[in-house]
Amino acid sequence: MAILYNTDKSLKERVADCLEDDFKHNAIKTAQEVFYVGRGKLVAEMEGWEDLRRHAVEVRNHVTENLDYYVKQFAQNAEKNGCIMHYAPSGDDALWEVLDIFEKHGASYAVKSKSMMTEEVGLNEILEETGIKITETDCAENILQTAESKPSHIVVPALHFDREAIAQIYREKRGYDGSSVPEEITHYLRKILRHEFMEAEVGIRGCNFAVASTGSVTLVTNEGNGRMVDSFPKVQIVFVGIDRIVPDLEALDTMMALLPRSAVGAKMTAYFSLDSGPAGPGEVDGPEEVHIILMDNGRHTLANTEFSDMLRCMRCGACLNICPVYRHITGHGYGSIYPGPMGLVLTPGLVGYDDIDNMVYACSLCGACSEHCPVGIPIHDLIREHRIKIVEEHKNHAIEVPIFKALELFWSNVPVYKFGMKVGEPIMKALAHGDTALAEDSAWIPVVKGWTSTRDFDILSSTRFRTWFKEHKEEQAAQKAHGVEGGEQ
Amino acid sequence: MALGNKTLDDLLTPISKQLEHTGVANNVELPAWDFKAVRVTDGMSAPELVDLFAAEAEKVRVAVHRCARTELATCLGSIVAEGVPETGEACTVVCANDERFEQGGVYAALEAQDKVTKLTVWDETRGQENVDAALTATYGITFAAAGIAETATIVQPTNPKCGRAISLLPLVHVAVIDAATIEPTMLEVMENCTGKKLPSQVCFISGPSATADIELVRVEGVHGPMYVHYVIAE
Repeated sequence: MAILYNTDKSLKERVADCLEDDFKHNAIKTAQEVFYVGRGKLVAEMEGWEDLRRHAVEVRNHVTENLDYYVKQFAQNAEKNGCIMHYAPSGDDALWEVLDIFEKHGASYAVKSKSMMTEEVGLNEILEETGIKITETDCAENILQTAESKPSHIVVPALHFDREAIAQIYREKRGYDGSSVPEEITHYLRKILRHEFMEAEVGIRGCNFAVASTGSVTLVTNEGNGRMVDSFPKVQIVFVGIDRIVPDLEALDTMMALLPRSAVGAKMTAYFSLDSGPAGPGEVDGPEEVHIILMDNGRHTLANTEFSDMLRCMRCGACLNICPVYRHITGHGYGSIYPGPMGLVLTPGLVGYDDIDNMVYACSLCGACSEHCPVGIPIHDLIREHRIKIVEEHKNHAIEVPIFKALELFWSNVPVYKFGMKVGEPIMKALAHGDTALAEDSAWIPVVKGWTSTRDFDILSSTRFRTWFKEHKEEQAAQKAHGVEGGEQ
Repeated sequence: MALGNKTLDDLLTPISKQLEHTGVANNVELPAWDFKAVRVTDGMSAPELVDLFAAEAEKVRVAVHRCARTELATCLGSIVAEGVPETGEACTVVCANDERFEQGGVYAALEAQDKVTKLTVWDETRGQENVDAALTATYGITFAAAGIAETATIVQPTNPKCGRAISLLPLVHVAVIDAATIEPTMLEVMENCTGKKLPSQVCFISGPSATADIELVRVEGVHGPMYVHYVIAE
């Protein structure tokens, strides 16, 4: 999979599909509420929360401003720790390097813990094409892999399947014979995957934060699959984005104080590992070889632009958990592995405007995401910024320009405007069949249809607001003169 | 441009160019930060931190035991005496090779339990055998390097005497934390690590392995331990 998926359908068609899926809606609604309420409670308990956010902003900005320096420092220190470095300016470079590692080891079996970067470059598909078996080990990712489905949330990716569907997937594909109780399915996964962790030749994982001063990579998980992947296969491949770097261990603490709270409403995840190189002398477990794929894949193009704030993103998903649009069109509507508010900024940032359809318009600009972002990214402003750029680069729909030109003319010319209002009122009245609003039955009118197919559209009033206001003031003055102060209570 | 075999410079050049840097700086000093957050642990005394650590641990479903340093063997013995959780069957134990366990008579106390059929003390000379023992063990016992009060986290570095498998593969992880090593937040632990050579892995563990991937129902014991005990030695 690449960043964009399901592109043979238009955004509108994808959204229409998602709007009809009640299970998906309810799942997203529950997730949003659980995470949002959990986060809210923890934040309320923390007097220092806002300062922590501000500090994170200054730290992340400092790294972005000196990104070349910190990328180099991290790379050199990781190498000193004994890691084998691979540099990937593009996603294809990353794939090349990974295939090369497999080839050198003659390896054909890998286990993987969830990594958005590997999704971004479509690693699984490429490995499978070359005959390498790769098993996703995060419960949700394993469900998706077994069901051949796509993630619908960046933190809980299999939210769109209910327990019965999941049990059925394993019954059909793996011969599972248990019930649909989540505990039983999970313990079944523990059993089948444990064997795979022990047998796999290569472990592939992501990295939440990379520490420049120590050359360390980190992994945040709850299930422990990340630990299994980095403890038992002898060869380990770590995908690190150039936007994952923090300067030092102190900064790591700041990020970790923000991440689990923002992501899942927990003070800490069950596991957080800080890895600095392969297993040392005398260590029985742990990887013998650690390969770090340090990947850019378009990220640097955001630096030093109006979008550079996006490089602070730590992929917590807090913006998804508060977004009213995400709540309705769900993760699959967007057609990007990075959905929701952060996805609307990042996706075009990485792939450009040509193939994203009207994605950046899937936002009401309410700003809830920006308010909740732990690293203070003005997400909705950046979404708006994308819209502006799309127009500036003439990548908007051709008909938009004449429409807006006509509207400009209409609103800036008093006689034309007055005339329009005057004829508009009886026309709308006629279309509304005597009602006060245009309803579903006016869906035959182009443009208006988009609104009236799901909502009412109030008809123009026969009285101008100014006229009404003038009368209203006069009425009030008259009432005052009669000593009826402020009207009825 | 051909794929693969890119150098660090191939990666850095476009970044520097984008930043309008003439080249990668030789040194960048960290600025004086404008913000420092107050933490809930600010101003807490050492005993208060231990209490907070214990209270937070219970919130993340850890069984907390507090005992005197001299009572460690008895306390650990009584935990494994239960055998396999829920069934009470006989069990095997894998334990880190730690002087404090040796001196405190912990190994003898573990072996003395009726329900313990085998005790494996981690031994680097026996390689994979250690991992195999952990794979089937009910209990894995480690001595944590530190505790973090704010989040009930234990800090578990890996080394030749304590492999990663002990705190990961068994059904139950029992971590011993010396009360004197309990720090307020992760920041203090990070500060203590700064400037030192880090081990290949430092694992921060906070409770049992868990997931909520199926309908957001919390299930414990996914790939790591299903049960976690903290023994606070004070």
